[in-house]
Amino acid sequence: MSDGSIIGRSTTVRGHVRGTGPIRVEGSVEGDVTTDGDIDVGPEARIRGDVSGATLRVGGAVAGDLTGTEAVLLIAGARVVGNLSAPRIGVAEGALVRGNIETGPGEGQRVVTSPVAERRLPVAPPAAKAPITPVRAAVPPVRRAPVRPPAPKTVAKPVETPSPRAVVPAAPASRSATRAPTPVEPTRAKPARVAKPAPAPVVPAITKGIRGRKKRAGQR
Amino acid sequence: MAGTVIGEGLTIEGEVVTDDEVVVQGAVRGTLTSGDVVSIASGGVVEADIQATSLSVGGQATGNVVVTDRVDIQAGGRLIGDVKAARLTIADGASFKGNVDMDV
Repeated sequence: MSDGSIIGRSTTVRGHVRGTGPIRVEGSVEGDVTTDGDIDVGPEARIRGDVSGATLRVGGAVAGDLTGTEAVLLIAGARVVGNLSAPRIGVAEGALVRGNIETGPGEGQRVVTSPVAERRLPVAPPAAKAPITPVRAAVPPVRRAPVRPPAPKTVAKPVETPSPRAVVPAAPASRSATRAPTPVEPTRAKPARVAKPAPAPVVPAITKGIRGRKKRAGQR
Repeated sequence: MAGTVIGEGLTIEGEVVTDDEVVVQGAVRGTLTSGDVVSIASGGVVEADIQATSLSVGGQATGNVVVTDRVDIQAGGRLIGDVKAARLTIADGASFKGNVDMDV
């Protein structure tokens, strides 16, 4: 790279400027300026676009982000509206900036900007915990939900005792509706089936089994 | 150096409008309008319509040329496009394809 590029004071470029080598901008660029060399922005320069290079020395007006792989330096006379990002950033007295300034990732940098890094770190773990809790909260109602509708079926035996009792008061409640006769008959049949292991409906079950025979024998 | 220098590794895609002298060592794609002299160095590539007072082609130029003064195509230079100029020189070893209008 023998010599760099110069965009003169009276030059207006409407488009992107890309390449290698140093660039000195003293004119107007409406577009991005990207190079792997240094970029000098003169005091009468106007750039409307992002500027990327190695070391950026800005003394003019830039509306766009400034990204330096080595440094971004704003000297007096600089008017920047955009974000600055570089391992080394300098803003001299008299320069005007509006935007984020980030001195980039790097282990040495974290030590220097530790209060900012500490504020950032606790953000991550609550974000990791947040998705876990709704999953746990979702599981128990899922398990309980299928149990309630098949209450007449013997889904779970410990639920049996409350279920016929729950069904029986439900039957008189439904009697107020016009469906009274049909729900009563199946409720009577169900305690008969349930009675073998359970002690609750004892009276109709005496006719069956050994006790039933004895009773019949006693009656006879 | 001259007003605007487009260095060897640089590519400009778009319009370039200037009152300065322009030296193109890199690439320009779009249009190039100058109020002064435009010279395309031997490694320069211009794929644009050129408007200038004077043009010197040492590299490659593709596009129409409207020049008020003179156009010089040097040896090793290559110009493809129509030329409207007052004066024209084509050196031995230069390449040229296009119409010439010398405002006769």
